[in-house]
Amino acid sequence: MAPSLLHPPSQLSHAAALQLSQQAPAVLRSSPSTVSASPLSALFSASESPELWTKYENLLLSCLRTGDERAAHQCLERLVARFGNDNERVMAFKGLLKEADAENNGQLELVLKEYDQILSDNDTNIPITKRRIALLRSLGRVSDAASSLVRLLEFSPTDAEAWSELAEIYLTQGLYAQAIYALEEVLILAPNAWNIHARLGEMQYMAATASGAGAGPYRKYLAEALKRFARSIELCDDYLRGYYGLKLVTSEVLGDSAGSTKQNGADEFSLPDPATIERLNELATAKLSEIVRHAAARDPGWCGYDELEVAAARELLTKDASALPGVVR
Amino acid sequence: MAQVPVQTIHRDPQLFYWILVPITIVMILTGVLRHYATVLMATAPKKLDQKTIREQRSLLHGINVRSNFHVLSKRSFTTRRDALTTAYESGAYLKDPERRGQAPPNPMSDPSSMEGMMGMMKNQMAMIIPNTLIMSWINAFFSGYVIMKLPFPLTIKFKSMLQAGVATKDMDPRWMSSISWYFLCIFGLQSVFNFLLGNDNAASQMAQQMGQMAPPTGQMFGPGVDPDKQFIAEVENLAVIEHYSVLDGVEQRLLEGITV
Amino acid sequence: MTSIEREFQIAPIVQESVVHNSRTLFNLQSLTASLFGVGAGILGLESYYGFLFYIICSLLTTLLFYVLRVAPSSLPAGKGAFDTSQYFRSPYEFWTGGLLNGLAGFILTWTLFFGLVRA
Repeated sequence: MAPSLLHPPSQLSHAAALQLSQQAPAVLRSSPSTVSASPLSALFSASESPELWTKYENLLLSCLRTGDERAAHQCLERLVARFGNDNERVMAFKGLLKEADAENNGQLELVLKEYDQILSDNDTNIPITKRRIALLRSLGRVSDAASSLVRLLEFSPTDAEAWSELAEIYLTQGLYAQAIYALEEVLILAPNAWNIHARLGEMQYMAATASGAGAGPYRKYLAEALKRFARSIELCDDYLRGYYGLKLVTSEVLGDSAGSTKQNGADEFSLPDPATIERLNELATAKLSEIVRHAAARDPGWCGYDELEVAAARELLTKDASALPGVVR
Repeated sequence: MAQVPVQTIHRDPQLFYWILVPITIVMILTGVLRHYATVLMATAPKKLDQKTIREQRSLLHGINVRSNFHVLSKRSFTTRRDALTTAYESGAYLKDPERRGQAPPNPMSDPSSMEGMMGMMKNQMAMIIPNTLIMSWINAFFSGYVIMKLPFPLTIKFKSMLQAGVATKDMDPRWMSSISWYFLCIFGLQSVFNFLLGNDNAASQMAQQMGQMAPPTGQMFGPGVDPDKQFIAEVENLAVIEHYSVLDGVEQRLLEGITV
Repeated sequence: MTSIEREFQIAPIVQESVVHNSRTLFNLQSLTASLFGVGAGILGLESYYGFLFYIICSLLTTLLFYVLRVAPSSLPAGKGAFDTSQYFRSPYEFWTGGLLNGLAGFILTWTLFFGLVRA
């Protein structure tokens, strides 16, 4: 899929982001430099579409990522000209540019003070609140960021973006239970997000394999991780991360034969019987090798995979193949 | 029974140019104008303070938990249900907890709720005023003409509607006057507006009336609704949920559904 | 909890796509209905023949829509002939929804052109 300016660029690879930001001069030239905010002239001039502003926002982000700050400032100027200085989104973008222009931590602290100032005037400015949290996190004050996020979620518990950020912060701190709780909240808001299902599976796998997990939680986490990965595959066919995780979990369960008879409580998910796990493992292996083969051959219809992920899958497969004689079947 | 002879009325072709065309053009232009008037008069969403946002989003959170409980494991769901139920029942999310149990303020006296009323009033006005104006314009200029014949027969009951202002007793009800062309335009121009203004236009009053019949979604936090009652109702909704999960049996579905 | 509801939770449907599909169909139907009105008016059809013309033409449009737009991708996907469930939720909405959607536009242009031609 060719990178499009209509999608937020955070998921793109570096090359794609560079490609986007190199379009900046063309985009800036082809669009009218100012669209008036006055509704009367909007009636007569060329129609503006929401896509144009999405384009500017995403272009701004791509340009910042690739260091083209002049173009980023131009994008911002146009956004300001249209929506004014008081628009919450525009304020967040202005802050983002200031953060990008800052040369040392001292200047970043100044930006942080500015955010605090804005928030003391208007404590419901969610874009600025999120910028402040991101800045806190990049300054290394992770626990401050987490507590600000909790405060944000206290009055806005339907914000999936904030919940997933909180989950990632907790994960970096090793607080698996909290991270899993936060990610479950994301799933409540977006019940069909297969990437979140897979991410939750990954977190549960990490929680299970982390040192210090007892036998009970270990099985519980593994059982749910298995189901989460299975669900993510069910929602999105040929989902590489899902199959990768499924293979990891099933290998883990199969390799650990001890205590397999113990069942979890009624409230928890329990692992399926070993035969099913075996079949799931085989399915995941077969699918993974199919994906790796097609992706390596660059077959049409199989191009969307991230190269690093494909490489990781290939590595897992070779490791698995070499270790196979050792595993007692 | 004798065959009723087909009535023919000789009309001046100028009637078309001076009645039909003007009415049609005016109707289309009014629709366009109404669309833009609605766009211009749309009020930006009002700024809410933190407490109000908290109240509304907490309720939404509960609704989300209730409708998407199937992604959770039973224990996660029960934890959330217990937490939400306790918080809802104690009124922890209410904007001003000390006002609990009192009657909601009169929406007419509350300035914040007047805004919403004004919005509705504006929409109503954008519908009523042009209609009244055009009706009276047509009645003043074009009443008493028979301009065209409908291609399909109608019963005699339609006569008074279609031939308003034409007091001819024996005329076939298929003959219609200018005011009935106006009515036809009201109903039939929706497709024209679709192409002129895009699909979600506000030009046609038919679409607006449909919208009024459906329960408006914004009404959930509207004036005069007691949030405490909503919270209590949500507690009951949560309590009756019999939990199951989409993760139950997902491995079997996967093994059956996917072949390599 | 009905099993249908559960089925939707397991295999969800993207609401935006459903809306987009039915909106595309609706646009086509209202445009063609107006054009059929022009045709019926110019042909000078009266009473039942006009409505018959409309019904036949709009069913034909829907059929063409199926053959040209739906069938090429739904037949290889394992759906039966005239099965529109890959893109539309209810078959009634697909096959007969257009009749009501376009009726008002049809009558308008039919009357107009009938009057212009047969005046």
